[in-house]
Amino acid sequence: MFGSIAELVGAAEKTGTPISELMIQQECARSGRTRDQVWSRMSQDLDVMLAAAKKGSEGRGVFSKTGLSGGEAALLDRYRRSRTTLSGDTMVGAVVAAMATNEVNAAMGVICATPTAGSSGTLPGVINALRERIDLSREGQVRCLFTAGAFGLVTANKAMIAGATGGCQAEVGSASAMAAAAAVEAAGGDPATCAEAFAMALSNLLGLVCDPVAGLVEVPCIKRNAIGTANALICADIALSGGTSKIPADQVVAAMKSIGEAMPASLRETGAGGLADTPAGREFRKTVFGE
Amino acid sequence: MGKYRSVFDIIGPVMIGPSSSHTAGAVSIGRIGHILAGGIPDRAVIHHYESFARTHKGHGTDYAIASGLLGLAPDDPKVPNALAIACGMGVDIEFIEEDGDSPIHHPNTAVLDMEKDGKVVSFWACSIGGGTIEVRRIRMDGYDMRPSGLLPMLFIEENHSRSDSDKALSTVEAMLGRGGHVMQKTIYPKIDGEGRRMIGFELEHPLSADQQDEIDVLASRLIYLH
Repeated sequence: MFGSIAELVGAAEKTGTPISELMIQQECARSGRTRDQVWSRMSQDLDVMLAAAKKGSEGRGVFSKTGLSGGEAALLDRYRRSRTTLSGDTMVGAVVAAMATNEVNAAMGVICATPTAGSSGTLPGVINALRERIDLSREGQVRCLFTAGAFGLVTANKAMIAGATGGCQAEVGSASAMAAAAAVEAAGGDPATCAEAFAMALSNLLGLVCDPVAGLVEVPCIKRNAIGTANALICADIALSGGTSKIPADQVVAAMKSIGEAMPASLRETGAGGLADTPAGREFRKTVFGE
Repeated sequence: MGKYRSVFDIIGPVMIGPSSSHTAGAVSIGRIGHILAGGIPDRAVIHHYESFARTHKGHGTDYAIASGLLGLAPDDPKVPNALAIACGMGVDIEFIEEDGDSPIHHPNTAVLDMEKDGKVVSFWACSIGGGTIEVRRIRMDGYDMRPSGLLPMLFIEENHSRSDSDKALSTVEAMLGRGGHVMQKTIYPKIDGEGRRMIGFELEHPLSADQQDEIDVLASRLIYLH
């Protein structure tokens, strides 16, 4: 079990093994399962992720029972295919996959929590970009999940990954940072560069509050995953270009933890503050729950 | 030793949306109730605290806990209509939004009071994120146990009136020790005496199916929470 990101990176550098491989070895050792069993379970998780992203962007998309969300990933995909987009085809395609996943989640479809359901679109969005941009192989996509999981384990154990304890920064921020690190390894970056991308991605989303309108996982959650994906890709590029975080990854995680603990309960998944407490937010709560 | 030990605690669970803490984690809390009650309870009162109390409607926490009590898995398509299913089976489930602070100091807390065949079982649990839960107090059969919270947990009831009780227990301990399972062992005396004790083991790895069978044969009473 790696106690810190520095330890994870150090072990990878010392043994010349990618972080994804270290994670596979550790999971086999800890669980007593064979490599094939561990790999096939992760491969199934990838299938669930790809299926959700596809389902949410096809046709008119999916819609939640409350009517608060749905159909916008499909809308964005049609827009992407019909004109030149402002942020570029790959980025918009990645955001389509991220929003589609969270729209399926909001519509009570089947998703894979990475690390949580509320942040389940961020990593699939990044994987979508890696497939389109650098033709990442099926094996590379499964490896991405192991790298993301390794960084996520340290984050979850050293800080938190639940909106109720640490705000949206703990959910989408963690997901974005994990995805940035995984993207760097997939693009050929070394372990230290993965950590830089992780640190920058998490730094960019520090302080993000969890303010779910009507207490649902729809507004603003779905589009927070859009920024989660975009932020991960940008930070991966910055790290791969040689840019660095200056603040070590473990210290960024510690900062996220202290910020989460400083957040009032109204901004930690109680639906009582932020966007949930705007006139429109309160109105939605009334219409959805008739309170 | 962190609370999250497997890469699949982070990449996963595969689940029915919308929330891993409030839906998937809540299903797992319901499943603990199913195990502790020894099956589907006749009646259950669920006390929601803090974030659970504020957002249980929006996050489907109610039907998630109900589906766990029925023994369903987090990715079972029947999860969203578990309340109707429970009602149809005559299972009485009541939800209470508590105003006060969580008795176990976590924003995603549920306390379940259950009844089955006249037996009352209560437990205190919280969902700490990503679908992972903790069980921090269990009250049943005259025991009031306060484990650290992490799963899996194994409880074996020792009964001095059984002649081979000590032998059975030591065999189980040896088996658990061999697999490097035991992280913590706690002895819970029965409050009304009778010389009975419950031994609680907090395990690092899940038990395999045949390990569970092996222990089942040895122990007079076994509760495996996972």
